[in-house]
Amino acid sequence: MQGLIEFKSVTKTYGAGSSAVHAFGPVSLDIAEGEFISFLGPSGCGKSTLMLMIAGLLEASAGTIRLAGKEVHAPQTDIGIMFQDNTLVPWRTVRGNIELQLEMRGIPVEQHAEHISSLLQSVHLADFADRYPFELSGGMQQRAAFCQAMVHRPKIVLLDEPLGKLDAMTREHIRADLQKLWMQTRSTVIFVTHSIEEAVQLSTKVAVITPRPGKVETVIDIDLPFPRDLKVKGSSAFIRHVREIQEIFHGYGVI
Amino acid sequence: MATASSDGKGAMTRLIGWVAQSWMFIAFFIGFFLFWEFSIGFFNVPLYILTPPSMIVTKAWADLPRLFAYTYVTGLETILGYMVAIVIALPLGLAIAFSSILRRTIYPFFVTIEMVPKIAFAPIFISWLGFGLLPKVIIVFLVCFFPIVLNAILAFNSLSEELQRFSRSTGAGVWRTFVKIRLPAALPQCFVGFKYAGLNATVGAAIAEFIGSDQGLGFYIQITTGNMRPELAFAGIFFLTAIGLVLFGIITLAERILIPWHISVRRIQA
Repeated sequence: MQGLIEFKSVTKTYGAGSSAVHAFGPVSLDIAEGEFISFLGPSGCGKSTLMLMIAGLLEASAGTIRLAGKEVHAPQTDIGIMFQDNTLVPWRTVRGNIELQLEMRGIPVEQHAEHISSLLQSVHLADFADRYPFELSGGMQQRAAFCQAMVHRPKIVLLDEPLGKLDAMTREHIRADLQKLWMQTRSTVIFVTHSIEEAVQLSTKVAVITPRPGKVETVIDIDLPFPRDLKVKGSSAFIRHVREIQEIFHGYGVI
Repeated sequence: MATASSDGKGAMTRLIGWVAQSWMFIAFFIGFFLFWEFSIGFFNVPLYILTPPSMIVTKAWADLPRLFAYTYVTGLETILGYMVAIVIALPLGLAIAFSSILRRTIYPFFVTIEMVPKIAFAPIFISWLGFGLLPKVIIVFLVCFFPIVLNAILAFNSLSEELQRFSRSTGAGVWRTFVKIRLPAALPQCFVGFKYAGLNATVGAAIAEFIGSDQGLGFYIQITTGNMRPELAFAGIFFLTAIGLVLFGIITLAERILIPWHISVRRIQA
């Protein structure tokens, strides 16, 4: 079966000649439609770079990436991206920032007013639509950034450590909301993280990426029922998956 | 945004709040002028060296028509030079920020010229162009141009990588990206240049007038000092300061209107 996103021997090197740094690869990977796949690995393994390549924002040094059968060579516009540092602009309100995504694409904003409201509702930001980013907590900012990345109804969503800078409790809360939203839309999600538990909780598949030069060590199917609430997280199957991944990283001396 | 109440009661509360917060400064300010006023008599300072503030006010009052006329002259030089600097420096800064050729040619040239004290050109311009308005406008322009252009280059060059990627991922064209993201993101740094230039604009105008002119506040300060009339020279300095304050006030107002979301403005309003 042909995947929606295909990596074929993709490598990335920075610089040239004797000073060239081999960042990662070769990576070959197929991602099917509707999958929630986590790129899980230590910092500096190139998982964010891998993600940006799907969006056509970075070019591979060798190998090819195909999106729905087409080779990626330029920025892809039918994707929703949440970057590591959020792209909320300080001169617009939460609603204005979400509208920015539409305005940049030339989509009339008025037709999406209700859609924006329902998105804000689903991430518990309905009362903060007219606030500016600096008036929000870190968690609320990430929730707003999530709406910004989703408002144009992308089929593929790329999330680059969206919860990386948040405290543990906020992370837990937003994870649950994220899962609920994904269960409704069933879009294809690439989720970059370095939290094993987070990857196992959210994903249908976890791609375990080794330290530099990054390679996909293995892709683990997480065959647990959704939603993955506290009960599922306490189950022996969940803990087994976490253990299995911990052992891989332990073998590499990362943990 | 902070919802500042604009009714009279709110203004009164704010005034009382300001006095409560700044009473030490106000007391020091008043004390400074009182000391000045009474130390002249106390130390027997001759009036042709320094006059008490009260005398500055009364003598300036008598010479008000001339002071106003000269304030107009110097003000016009300042504002014209400043406006021309913005009109030329801003688009030029934008062009340099986006053109690799200009960045390797004009940009290092500007950085080098920035080291030269612009005011040193004043005698040359006056010898070329005479005593009129034009050489003064050019000096003010020179003083203001470099901080504006250098800050504009910095401003348009420092869009975060994430916002650049965000823009590309939307497929938006160059113009739309500029209007919706690059320009608003660049404004705060541009204002750093506007403010710095605004503070130096009156300096340029006054010194240009010292060097060669037959009107304006710089001319007035020089002539009255020469005539042993320090009280009038101080009045001239006061009016020169007023021009600077008005210019800076306009810039600050523009900043509040254009970038109310920026931290530098939020701090003032808080």
